[in-house]
Amino acid sequence: MFDRDAWLEIFHTVLSNPLRTGLTGLSIALGIFILVVMQGLGAGLEAGVANTFGDKASNVMEVRTGNAQLAFRGRKPNRRVALHNPDEQAMKEQLDTIPAWSRLVFRWGSTVRYGNQQGSYNVRGVDPDQREIGQVSLTSGRFLSPRDLAQNRKVAVLGAQLVQDLFPKGTKPSDVVGEFIQLRGIQFAVVGTFNQAGSRWENRSVYVPFSTAQKLFQNDDVVGRVTIGTGDAAIEDTREASTGLLFWLKDRLVVHPDDAEGVWVNNENEEAEMFRQIFSGIRLFVWFVGLMTLLAGAMGVANIMAIVVRERTKEIGVRKALGATSHAIVGQIIQEAVFLMLVSGCVGLLAGTWLLHGIAPLVEHDFFSNPRVDFYSALLALGILILVGVASAIGPAVRAVTIRPVEALRDE
Amino acid sequence: MIELHGIRKSYQSGAQTLEVLKGIDCTINKGELVAIMGSSGSGKSTLLNVLGLLDDFDGGSYHLDGNDMGGLGEKQAARYRSEFLGFVFQSFNLIGYKTALENAALPLYYQGVSRKERQKQALHYLTKVGIADWAEHLPNQMSGGQKQRVAIARALIANPRVILADEPTGALDSVTSDEVMGLLKEINREGITIVVVTHENEIAAQCDRIIRLKDGRIENPQAQHHV
Ligand SMILES: Nc1ncnc2c1ncn2[C@@H]1O[C@H](COP(=O)(O)OP(=O)(O)OP(=O)(O)O)[C@@H](O)[C@H]1O
Ligand SMILES: [Mg+2]
Repeated sequence: MFDRDAWLEIFHTVLSNPLRTGLTGLSIALGIFILVVMQGLGAGLEAGVANTFGDKASNVMEVRTGNAQLAFRGRKPNRRVALHNPDEQAMKEQLDTIPAWSRLVFRWGSTVRYGNQQGSYNVRGVDPDQREIGQVSLTSGRFLSPRDLAQNRKVAVLGAQLVQDLFPKGTKPSDVVGEFIQLRGIQFAVVGTFNQAGSRWENRSVYVPFSTAQKLFQNDDVVGRVTIGTGDAAIEDTREASTGLLFWLKDRLVVHPDDAEGVWVNNENEEAEMFRQIFSGIRLFVWFVGLMTLLAGAMGVANIMAIVVRERTKEIGVRKALGATSHAIVGQIIQEAVFLMLVSGCVGLLAGTWLLHGIAPLVEHDFFSNPRVDFYSALLALGILILVGVASAIGPAVRAVTIRPVEALRDE
Repeated sequence: MIELHGIRKSYQSGAQTLEVLKGIDCTINKGELVAIMGSSGSGKSTLLNVLGLLDDFDGGSYHLDGNDMGGLGEKQAARYRSEFLGFVFQSFNLIGYKTALENAALPLYYQGVSRKERQKQALHYLTKVGIADWAEHLPNQMSGGQKQRVAIARALIANPRVILADEPTGALDSVTSDEVMGLLKEINREGITIVVVTHENEIAAQCDRIIRLKDGRIENPQAQHHV
């Protein structure tokens, strides 16, 4: 199909009016370029956001307390609301199924020391379920166990940053297990290490048993936060559950029903859903803009092919007189259009990919990481190019078919 | 080879119908060299286009080598054209960006002949019409006579039974015209039927027979001017 003569024809078409071909090619290349770059930036933004907010699973609800703003049942306004151990127990009892449950006490800026090395890190007292809720990826040892909690053991699971900062260079995570560190002046045994790829904040954390932390680092029975896993519950169910839970909590902690600050339940499912919607919106927008630009390019190609057919009416007539079938003529026109589309499209694709790879190392931001050209998007874009190329050639090709050799051959 | 009975052809221009061919009866035998003459607008080109299956006709019958050419589809017409017919035009109609060799080879391209074989054949026919030296030249580097020779080589390459030439010497000076006519006569001697539309008596005089068109009919069909 693509023999030398076919190529010769194509090059003749392309080169017979370089400016026109160039401009049209440019608009197609630009379309693909914009599509690829915006798609890549969108993916980068999505990955960045996912990393930043990805320190916990999205199928959770969080219970937190704050300052109640309104007076209620004899309580003064602007008072601190706290969740105590009995409240937490009662809350757990009134929920029927709980896929995962983790309490949290949080001490940031805690001094952690190993040998002569020390630094300031975040200490989190949590339950064993935190491993699932926080999607903790262990690099050695184990996570906290129920027994650690029950016996208030002084054990710790270290983030990658601590391992790197406090231990000698080249220390493997497994070498750290069994070592002892000083945490706020108290000795803890390291039982495991973890590394959350791409999350600096997470890797500066130390996990210790909730019960130990509550006992050692604070002098009351306040629970800082409770994170409740929702498993694979549907979003509507979690919405209902979080509303019910908030209602119950307000009653229990004596917070006015209209008070927005005293206690709240964050349904991460909804936040995740919101992000999903935002990003699918961005993706849709990217494709829309890209396709519109492509469409403009396709019209350019259709225009070129229409001009080519008009300019070569006589030639097409001669070819028909010499035995060319309409099939052969149409094939040639479509080949030319697709060729033009593909070459320009590939230029745009390569330029876009090159730009993304060029800027990727320069732009490293919490909300933006690793912008890339997704292989399937590129493949899809090329597929669309071929389709659009064929479609843009149909009009001119039909015109070429209707050219009767006699009319083309008439000398005026 | 060619048998026409009552061929009619009219053109519709707006509300008016222009009857160009009003019933043409004629037979052209295998191996004949026939001239078609007639005043301008008498329908010579129209008749040749009908013979060449480049245009359809409204009435009558046309048999080419015994095959009925009535109501052919586009695809069949293309097949008969490439199998039976070769064309030579007044304005040569070579493709400007192709060399003489590629132009001459074009009909074989549409018959699916391999590139190597096409070039071999094209060179053979360019040699035959005497311009093998110009094989790699583009049409705009050649004289009118040379271009017409390329066109004749192109008409010959598919090994046609009939060559249809519409004023093949119309754009050439008299010396070159004689050369081209000589070439056509040579080809005719090898057994290929040739129909030439011409205005020039010197050209027509070199043919076996002259068909004169007048008002869409053949003048004096009984005595078809045997030369
Ligand atoms: N496509 C067409 N539509 C309408 N009329 C046409 C068409 N083609 C030819 N004619 C008319 O038909 C008549 C015959 O035309 P034709 O080209 O056959 O003449 P001709 O004998 O070849 O003339 P010439 O010697 O000038 O080439 C002319 O009057 C011409 O105007
Ligand atoms: Mg004419």
